[in-house]
Amino acid sequence: MLSMSSGPPLWLQAVYRLERAIGGPIESAVRSDTYFDVVAQANRARAKAVGAVEGVSRRGLHLLNLPAGTDIRRVREQLSRMERRMNALTDELAALHDTRDGVR
Amino acid sequence: MAPSLNPGDLVGRVTRDVERSVLRARNGVRYVRGTHRPKLGVTPKDVVWRSGKAELWRYRRGPGVRYGPPVVIVHSLVSRSYILDLRPGNSTVEYLVNAGLDVFMLDWGVPDELDADNSLETYVDGYLPRALAAVRRETGCDEVTLAGYCLGGVIAALYAAGHDDARVRNLILMATPIDFDEMGAMVAVLREGRLDPDDLVDDTGNVPADALYSGFYMLAPTTEIAQKATLLEHLWNDEFVEGFQAMAQWSRDHVPFPGAAFRQLVELLVRENALMSGSIRVGYREIALEQARGDVLVAMAQRDNVVPAGATEPALSLVGEPARREALRLPGGHVTFGTGKSAFKHTMPRLTGWITAHSDERPDGEEA
Repeated sequence: MLSMSSGPPLWLQAVYRLERAIGGPIESAVRSDTYFDVVAQANRARAKAVGAVEGVSRRGLHLLNLPAGTDIRRVREQLSRMERRMNALTDELAALHDTRDGVR
Repeated sequence: MAPSLNPGDLVGRVTRDVERSVLRARNGVRYVRGTHRPKLGVTPKDVVWRSGKAELWRYRRGPGVRYGPPVVIVHSLVSRSYILDLRPGNSTVEYLVNAGLDVFMLDWGVPDELDADNSLETYVDGYLPRALAAVRRETGCDEVTLAGYCLGGVIAALYAAGHDDARVRNLILMATPIDFDEMGAMVAVLREGRLDPDDLVDDTGNVPADALYSGFYMLAPTTEIAQKATLLEHLWNDEFVEGFQAMAQWSRDHVPFPGAAFRQLVELLVRENALMSGSIRVGYREIALEQARGDVLVAMAQRDNVVPAGATEPALSLVGEPARREALRLPGGHVTFGTGKSAFKHTMPRLTGWITAHSDERPDGEEA
C-alpha cells in the first residue's frame, strides 16, 4: 500500500466513491414510504406466522398436559408485575423514610 | 504535489510502508480474533445510589473539586452511557473531572420485562428526583448542573420545568430532540402511523435493542464499507484501531427501550410533537418548558444525523427563561459530545468552559 501523497490513497478514494455510488440510492430507497410499508407489513406477517405456529404447538403441548412457551411467558409477566409492585412499594417506603428524616 | 524522487526520500517511504504493513498484519490478526479490545467507560467511579436498573455513579476526583455545584449527567434511554466516557484520554467525563468538576452520571442500565411499564413519569418524577436527592446527600450541595444527553435532555428539561423544588443551577441540553418533525425518516414512519409502536414491542414489553440498532443501521447501510476500508488503511495505527473498535462496539450496543415510555414517546412527542407547543402533560400536570430552572445551554452538533440540529434548536425559544438561554453550536455529529477529534478540539473545552463559568470556584476543594 504505497502512498505517494498526503491525502487518502487512490484505492481508498475509489472505495469512497463506490460506496457513495451504491449507498446514495440505497439510502433513498430505505427512506422511502414503500420500504417502510414493506417493513411494517413484514413485521405484521411475521408476528401472525409466529402466533399461528405457537397456537398449534400450544394445543399439542396442552394435550400432553405440558406448559407451552406462551404459558411460561404469562407466568413471567405475572411475576414481573408482582416484582414491579414490590419495587414500587419499596420506593414509597424509602420516600417515607426520606421525608421522616427530613431529606428532600 | 508530486512526490520527491530523491533516493533518500524514496527509501524512507518504502521503509515506512514496510513497517506499516507489518503493523497492519499484526493488528489485522488481533482485530479478526477479537483480542485487544479496548476497555470502555473506565474512569474510576463509585455507585452512590441504585434503584431498579438505574444507577448513579460518582466519578473519583483526582486533582480535587475546584467548582460547584456538581454536574449530573442524565443519559439517554436508547444507548449506553459509556459513549461519554469512551476511553482514557478520549472521554468527556474524564475531561470534566480533570477540569475540577464533581461529576455524576445517571445510567439507566439495561431494561428488561420488569421495566416494561416505565413511562416518562417513572424517569422524570421517580428516578431523577431520587437520584438528585442522593447527589445532595453525597455532596452536601443543594444545587446541581443538570446535563442531559439526547433523550436524557428531554427527561432533564421536564424535571427542571416540572418540579417546583428542583434546584437546578444550570441545565444543559446536549443533542436533545424538541421538534420531532425534524427527526428524519425513521421517526416519520411512526408519526404517520405506518409503523405502530406495538409492532416494535416484543414479548418482554420493550422495544428490543436489535430493533433500535437495525433502525439506526438502515439510515446508512453502506457506510460500514467505507469505514472498514478506512480501518484497513489505518490498521497500522494502534490508536486508530482502538478508537475504531470502541466506536464500533458502542454503535452496536443499544439497550431495549421500555415499552410504556416508547408508546408515550410516539404518541406525545412524535405524533403530537407536544414539546413544540411549549408544554406537555406528564403525570397529572401540564409541564411548561419555560418554567425550567437555571441557566440553559442548548448544545447542538451541526452534522448530527441522529438528532439533527434543527430538532434541537427550538429549545432556544422554549426551554427556560428567555434571558437565560444560550446556544452552543458545535461541528461534528451526534457523538461529538463523547468522542472524536472534534469533541476534543471543540466540544469538551467549550462545554467545560461554559459549566465552569456558570459555577462557583472552590479553590480549597471543599465539598459544598
